[in-house]
Amino acid sequence: MATRVGSPAGPSSAPPQPAGVRSARAELARREDPRRRLLRLLSVLIAFGVFVLGWRVTDIDLGKLANASNAGPILKALVAPDILSRDNSQIELQAPFESGATASDTTLASGPTGQTFRITPAGAQPGQTVTFEGAGFEPNADGDLRVVFPGGGRDLRFTRLTTDSRGAFHEERQWPDAATLPPGTYTFRLILNAPVGSPHLSDTMNSSLGRMGETILLALMGTLFGVIISVPLSFLGARNLMGGSAVGQAIYWCMRLLFTITRSIEVLIVGLIMVVIVGIGSYAGVLALVVHSVGSLGKLYSEAIESIEPGPVEAITATGAGRFQTVLFGVIPQIIPEFLAVTIFWWDHNVRMSTVIGLVGGGGIGYLLIQYINLLQYNQAATVLWMIVIVVTAMDYASARIRARLV
Amino acid sequence: MLRIEHLVKEYPGGVRALDDVSLTVRDGEFVVLIGLSGSGKSTLLRCINRLLEPTAGRILLDDLDITAARGAALRTVRRSIGMIFQQFNLVKRSSVLTNVLTGRLGYLSPWQSLVGHYAEQDYLRALVNVQRVGLRERVHQRADRLSGGQQQRVAIARALMQEPKLMLADEPVASLDPATSHSVLKYLQQINRDGMTVICSLHFLSLARTYGTRVIALKGGRLMFDGLPSEIDERRFQDIYGEEAVEVEIH
Repeated sequence: MATRVGSPAGPSSAPPQPAGVRSARAELARREDPRRRLLRLLSVLIAFGVFVLGWRVTDIDLGKLANASNAGPILKALVAPDILSRDNSQIELQAPFESGATASDTTLASGPTGQTFRITPAGAQPGQTVTFEGAGFEPNADGDLRVVFPGGGRDLRFTRLTTDSRGAFHEERQWPDAATLPPGTYTFRLILNAPVGSPHLSDTMNSSLGRMGETILLALMGTLFGVIISVPLSFLGARNLMGGSAVGQAIYWCMRLLFTITRSIEVLIVGLIMVVIVGIGSYAGVLALVVHSVGSLGKLYSEAIESIEPGPVEAITATGAGRFQTVLFGVIPQIIPEFLAVTIFWWDHNVRMSTVIGLVGGGGIGYLLIQYINLLQYNQAATVLWMIVIVVTAMDYASARIRARLV
Repeated sequence: MLRIEHLVKEYPGGVRALDDVSLTVRDGEFVVLIGLSGSGKSTLLRCINRLLEPTAGRILLDDLDITAARGAALRTVRRSIGMIFQQFNLVKRSSVLTNVLTGRLGYLSPWQSLVGHYAEQDYLRALVNVQRVGLRERVHQRADRLSGGQQQRVAIARALMQEPKLMLADEPVASLDPATSHSVLKYLQQINRDGMTVICSLHFLSLARTYGTRVIALKGGRLMFDGLPSEIDERRFQDIYGEEAVEVEIH
C-alpha cells in the first residue's frame, strides 16, 4: 500500500526538499581534514589564552579610566587653556561716606577698567550695618580698605579683604560708635590689585610659541641630516645595485643591518642616550632624530630603488655606459617620485617625534609640557597640547598638498 | 662582421639556453631570428652584447673578441652595438630628448655625464636621429606620454646615437599592433638599407619574409635553420615550430 507523505488536508510544514538539492548541498560541504580542525580549535584556544593573559598582565580596568576625581581636573583644563592674560597693578578707588548721618542712597566709585566699589548706604549711624561691595578686581587678591578722617587727617585701616575667584568681594560691617569714628565726611580708600590694559598673550603662550618654533626647526634639522646621510647609504643597501660581487653583497648586508638596528630603537630611547652624551637640549633631540631617520629612511629609500624597472637600466648598460652613468641616468630618474614622497612622509613623522623628544630632555615643546604637568599646571599644559594639535595638523595638511603637487 | 663560435649558455641545474650555436653574419644583412618562446633568441642577442655572460664559446665582432673584453674595452664594444627591446625600455619620466641623448653615454666620461654636459655635436646628432624616426615635434615630451610605436622609434633613435656597427632587436614589435609593427620595422629596414647590419628576433614568419634577407631559426637552444626566407616550406616550418603549429599571417 502506498504511504502518503504529509497530511492530506490543512497546512503542513515546508514541503520536503527534492532529493537532488539536498545531496548537492551535502556534496558541496567542505570535508575538513580532522587535523586541520583540531589545529584551528587549538589556535583559537591559544589566542584566547593569550588575550586573557594580556588582560591580566596589563591590568586593564575600565573603572579606573572613568574615575572622575582623577580625570576631572585635567579634562576641565583642556577646555580652558591659558592663552590670554592681562597685566596687574594696584589701583585705588575712593568713595566718600557720612558718619553719624543716615542716608538712603549708595556711594559708587568706578575704576579705569570696569572695577566698581559700592558702599551701601552712603552714610550710617553707629550700629547700622554697612555693606561694602566690589567687582572687577583680580581674583583671589588681598587688599586694604582704609578710612581717612575728615579734613585729610588720620588714615586708618578699616579692614583687610580678599576677592573671591571672580574678583569680587562683599563685606558687611557694623558702623563703629562715635568715639571711634566721630561724625563727619570720611573718605574710604580701597587699595586692591586689578587687571589693567588690554588682554595680551599670556606668558604660557609666549613660551609655547617660542618652543613650538624650536620644535619645528628641530624637526627640520633632524630630517635634513637624516636625508643627507641616508640617501647615499640607501644605494649601498639596494640589492639590485649591490648584487654583483661578493664585496657588494657584504656591503649590502652591512647596510641592511645598520638600518634595522637604528630603526628598532625608538626615537625617545635614542634621545635618552644622546642627552647623556651631549646634555639636555635641542642638540640631543636633533641627534636622536638623525640616528632614527637614517635607519627608517635608509630602508624606505633602498626599497624604492629595488622597485625600479630593470628594463631601462639594461638598455642604458647596453649603450656602453659605465656603472655610475647607468645609475645616474637609469636609476635616479625612476626613483625621484618615490624619494620625494618618502621624504615628505618622514618629515611629517619627525615633526610629531620632535614634539615629544623634549619629554626626555631633547628640547622643543615636550620639555615645556612635562614641566607643566609635573607642576600640576594643567591649564598651561592644555595650552601646549592645543598648540601641538593645531600646528601638527596644519603641517600635515600642508605636506599632503605639497606631495600632491610634486608627485 | 659578426662571428659566433660554439656559443653555450648554461644555467645552474644544467638547463642549456644555448647549445653549441655557431653562425656568421655578414655586413649589411638583415638577419631575422625565429623560434618558439624559450628557444634561445633573447639569450643569443643578449650574449652578443654581454648583457648575459656566455658559459662557453667565442663571439667576434670584426675580429675583436667580445667574450674576452673587460672594463673599458667592454664599454667600447657595447657602444658599437645598438639594441632595442620588446618593452622599449625608455626612462619613462624623462623626455624624448633626454632618453635619446643617453645613447651617447658610452662616449662620455663619468664626470661629463654628472654635469649633463653633452657636446654640441651630440645635440646635433640627437636632432638628426629624432628627425630620422619622425618624432621631431615630440622631442620635449615625457616618454611615457608616447604611444608604443612612438616609444620604440625613440628607442631606435637612442640606439642610432651610438653610431653602432650592429643593431640588435629583441622582439621589437611583439607589443605593437600589426600596422605599427610594420611602421617600426620599416624604420629598421631603412636603416639597414643605409648600411647597418641588423639582427632582429620576430614572432611572425610573414614579417620575417617581408623584411629579412636571411632567417636563422633556433629550437631548444640549437640552430635549426639558416637560409633565405623563401626556403622555409611547410615541413621546415613544422621542424622549427613543432608538429601542431599553424602559421598565422600578420598583415
